[in-house]
Amino acid sequence: MKNKLIYVYCISNRPFEFSLNAEFKGLNCIKHNEFYTVVKLVSNNEFSEDNLKRNLSDINWVDTHAREHISIISLLMEQCTVVPFKLGTIYHTEEGLKKFINEYTDSLIKNLHNIEKKEEWSMKIYCDRHMLSKQIDKFSEEAAVMEKQIMASSPGKAFLLKRKKTEFVENEMDRICKKYGQIYYDKFKNLSDSANLNNLIPKEITGRKDTMILNANFLVRKNKAEKFKDMIYKLNKQDENSCLFIDVTGPWPPFSFVSIKEKI
Amino acid sequence: MHDNIIERSKDISILELLDRVLNKGVILSGDIVISVADIDLVYLGVRLMLSSVETMEQLKHVELTD
Repeated sequence: MKNKLIYVYCISNRPFEFSLNAEFKGLNCIKHNEFYTVVKLVSNNEFSEDNLKRNLSDINWVDTHAREHISIISLLMEQCTVVPFKLGTIYHTEEGLKKFINEYTDSLIKNLHNIEKKEEWSMKIYCDRHMLSKQIDKFSEEAAVMEKQIMASSPGKAFLLKRKKTEFVENEMDRICKKYGQIYYDKFKNLSDSANLNNLIPKEITGRKDTMILNANFLVRKNKAEKFKDMIYKLNKQDENSCLFIDVTGPWPPFSFVSIKEKI
Repeated sequence: MHDNIIERSKDISILELLDRVLNKGVILSGDIVISVADIDLVYLGVRLMLSSVETMEQLKHVELTD
C-alpha cells in the first residue's frame, strides 16, 4: 500500500543534508516560507488514527518508534537548531502542515531563537538513604548532638534516646535530600540558560535501590556543555563514597524547552 | 570532543524517552496526534511491563537465595 500520511519529526529555519547519514533514508524536507520541516511518508496501516491507537498498546512498537524518533531528531540537531515534534504527529496533507506553519510562524521563530545553539540535558539525582543514615551525624548537627547524648547516657536512657533518634533521622533525611536536591539544581541552573523539573519517579519504576531526589532538565549552551559535564564528573567523584549519585543523559533535542501553545 | 551520551548509551530507559517524546516538543498540531488518554494508556503499559520485570527479578532473587 502506498505511504501517504505525513509524519513530522522537527522543523528548522535552515536546510538539512540527508546524504550524511544512512539513518536519514526515507526522510523528506518540506520547505514552506522560511521553514524546513523534516517528514517521512508513512502508511495508513501503521499510522491511521485507529491503527496508531492500536500500536500504542504494544510496548515494543512504542519503544522502537520512540527511539527512532529521538535518534533522527538528535542527528538532525547536529546540523542545525530544530524544534522537535511530539511522537506520532501526523498530517493528511502538506496543506495541513503549511497551515500550521502559517498560523504559528511567530511562535516557531521565537522558539528557534530560544533554543539556538543549545541542547537539553537531563539530570536525575539519587540518594542512598541507607548510606545516608549511617553518615547522618556528618550531615546533621542535631543528629550528632543526639549521638553524643546517647553515648553519655545510662543503657536504659540510651535505649530510649536511640529510639527517638531513629524516628528523627527519617525526617532529617527527607530534609537533607531536599536541601541537596535544591543545592545541585541551583548549581547546574547557573551553568544553563533555563531549567525545569519533572516529577520524581518512585523506586518501583526506576528499579533502583536508591531514592530519586531530583529530576530536572537543563537547557545548556553547546559551548558550555563541557563545563556542565565536568561539574557532574567532579561532583560524582567527590561524592564517590557518599550517598548521592548524579545520573545524566544527553544531549537531547530541547523537547522540554519548546512551547507552542494552541491558539484559541 | 563532544561525546554523545544518548548514542553511547543503549540503556536509556523507555520512561526517559517517553517523558520527552509524548509530553513535550510541539504537541498541539497535526491531523492525528496521540491523545492524553492514549498517553495514559502507554504509561500504564510501561509501568505494568516494568513492574513485571521487577517481579521477575524478585522471583529470580528468591530462587537464588532459597
